Amino acid sequence: MAKNLSGDLTVASANRLVDGIVVFLDDAGQWTPRLERAAVARDKRAGEILLERARVEAFGVIDPFLVAVSEDDDGRIEPISLREKIRASGLTFDAIAAEAVRYA
Amino acid sequence: MPDTHFYRYDDYDRTLVGERVEQFRDQVRRRIAGELTEEQFKPLRLTNGLYLQLHAYMLRIAIPYGTLSSHQLRKLADISRKYDRGYGHFTTRQNLQLNWIKLEDAPDALAALAEVDMHAMQTSGNCIRNVTADHYAGAAIDEIEDPRIWCEIVRQWSTLHPEFSFLPRKFKIAITGSPNDRAAVRVHDIGLRLWANEAGEVGFEVIVGGGLGRTPMIGKTLREFLPRDELLAYLEATLRVYNRYGRRDNLYKARIKILVHEIGAEKMREEVEAEYAAIKDGALKLPAETIEAIARQFAPPPLPHRPAVVAEVEGLKLEDREFALWLKSNVAPHRMAGYRIVTASLKPAGAPPGDASAVQMEGVADIADAYSQGEIRVSHEQNLILPHVAVEELPAVWRALGRLGFAEANVGKITDIIACPGLDYCALANARSIPVAQRISNHFAELARQHDIGDLKIKISGCINACGHHHVGHIGILGVDKNGVELYQLSLGGDVDFGKTAIGAILGPAVTADKVVEAVDAMVHTYLDNRGDGERFVDTYRRIGAQPFKERVYAAV
Repeated sequence: MAKNLSGDLTVASANRLVDGIVVFLDDAGQWTPRLERAAVARDKRAGEILLERARVEAFGVIDPFLVAVSEDDDGRIEPISLREKIRASGLTFDAIAAEAVRYA
Repeated sequence: MPDTHFYRYDDYDRTLVGERVEQFRDQVRRRIAGELTEEQFKPLRLTNGLYLQLHAYMLRIAIPYGTLSSHQLRKLADISRKYDRGYGHFTTRQNLQLNWIKLEDAPDALAALAEVDMHAMQTSGNCIRNVTADHYAGAAIDEIEDPRIWCEIVRQWSTLHPEFSFLPRKFKIAITGSPNDRAAVRVHDIGLRLWANEAGEVGFEVIVGGGLGRTPMIGKTLREFLPRDELLAYLEATLRVYNRYGRRDNLYKARIKILVHEIGAEKMREEVEAEYAAIKDGALKLPAETIEAIARQFAPPPLPHRPAVVAEVEGLKLEDREFALWLKSNVAPHRMAGYRIVTASLKPAGAPPGDASAVQMEGVADIADAYSQGEIRVSHEQNLILPHVAVEELPAVWRALGRLGFAEANVGKITDIIACPGLDYCALANARSIPVAQRISNHFAELARQHDIGDLKIKISGCINACGHHHVGHIGILGVDKNGVELYQLSLGGDVDFGKTAIGAILGPAVTADKVVEAVDAMVHTYLDNRGDGERFVDTYRRIGAQPFKERVYAAV
């Protein structure tokens, strides 16, 4: 599936203050844990504006920053770097469960 | 709190820790209310062990010299279940990290820790960190003196030490009381080795300026023999010299190892000795009664006489190959005949190294109560130790650990891998560590093969900070990022055995993540094809050099 990998597309991300979880700024200026709801800036200037807005809305989150994303033909966005993919999607292995006595 | 055979908080400790919890509770409240900015709050949370990682906050809990009571381990399980996701990660600093703690819960978690004489202070920041020790301390057959007595004295001296709370960089001290160094003392900022001189007096060899990270260094001996009661004065003198001359202008040159390297061991010794001469007869000279009072708290538990040879154990050894292998790799001699030291392997096949669920922690606590005087140790190799197990109870302990998934007979073998949390958790990492460890572990899971390969230490770090100690692995694996791709740099020949401590040599170009297992497999085959009688992997490497390994690895990948 074709992807826009130009690096021009960005979303604003941060960690939520009370619990540290990864959040993204949506079009309404709210922080959401769901990447698919993130507001997407489509060029450098829009990215700068998005980051400014994220900083204005930063009460309750820590240190907003821009994440470069790609977009496929269906409009699904995904961070480009592995680090940000992991931030957005979680661990790349199954952590042991609290009640587990053996690793599954 | 039940009786233990190690230090318990006195009123001073309890007041200090309790006040600190309430101070942090107020700081968290003010941060959430917006009265403190993140810039103001960050150093406050870090001094209480609370980091912000990729996905969440992480609480690093200090386990002083790696010693835990069953009561404390149960509390750690309880905290992990109540305030985290029900598991924790035992680290190469003998600490426990909870990876999903919420800021708003952190003060309650710290209050719960304080109930069992624990805290998370000085697990971050440019201060003297949690002092580590031989994980066989108090039980080892080769031990000259229990190093935890001295760890505790150092802990009391260094906790919130006003002069050393803002050092140029973090500072790590390790102490061993045995000639067989299990605490990696030559790769710490200060390593202390207790030994007895010809007159039979016990003192410290003081080793300064070791460390891993970006610039790995083996520490230099500043003092061959330091009288025990002068320890704090000598440490204070060393830290004072470091605090005065250590580089504060460059983060990468700020550790004491760089200072020792730049000015030379001789100059460093002169400076330290001059400072030491000025203070050694002052307030830091330890009164005999103070040492004795702390030593009494580490008095060995009353272990009744137990048989050293037990028919059931010998029989099971013949009947069950897994038990026989477990005895060979996971059970070590104890200072008392009739007892053994048992290592619970936190490295079952395919598991994240060092991770334990709440149920597993509680299970180990129960086993410790039933069979090991209620004592547990955390090793820097990310396993848990039961230090006082009677020989006749080894089968029961083996079965009980097996029910928890912690009886893998792999201690010291190729799947007993040290790995940092890596890019799956860590904000500093460049590449993942745990999935790489899992693939290697699964590939070499067959126990008979592991035992045929013999002692082989693989250590994996997800970045140059080297929390996974890759520099001193027989095989070291360092994750790097090259243009957004994870690559793994391989090194060979690292070691922390005393007298043989060595930094591994890089083998050649880094390999991609999907080729790491093939590369390790090629190294193992090179060893098996070349090993001499009784040679471990690292011995063969030292004898034949890197070239045969290099040729086979790069032909395979």
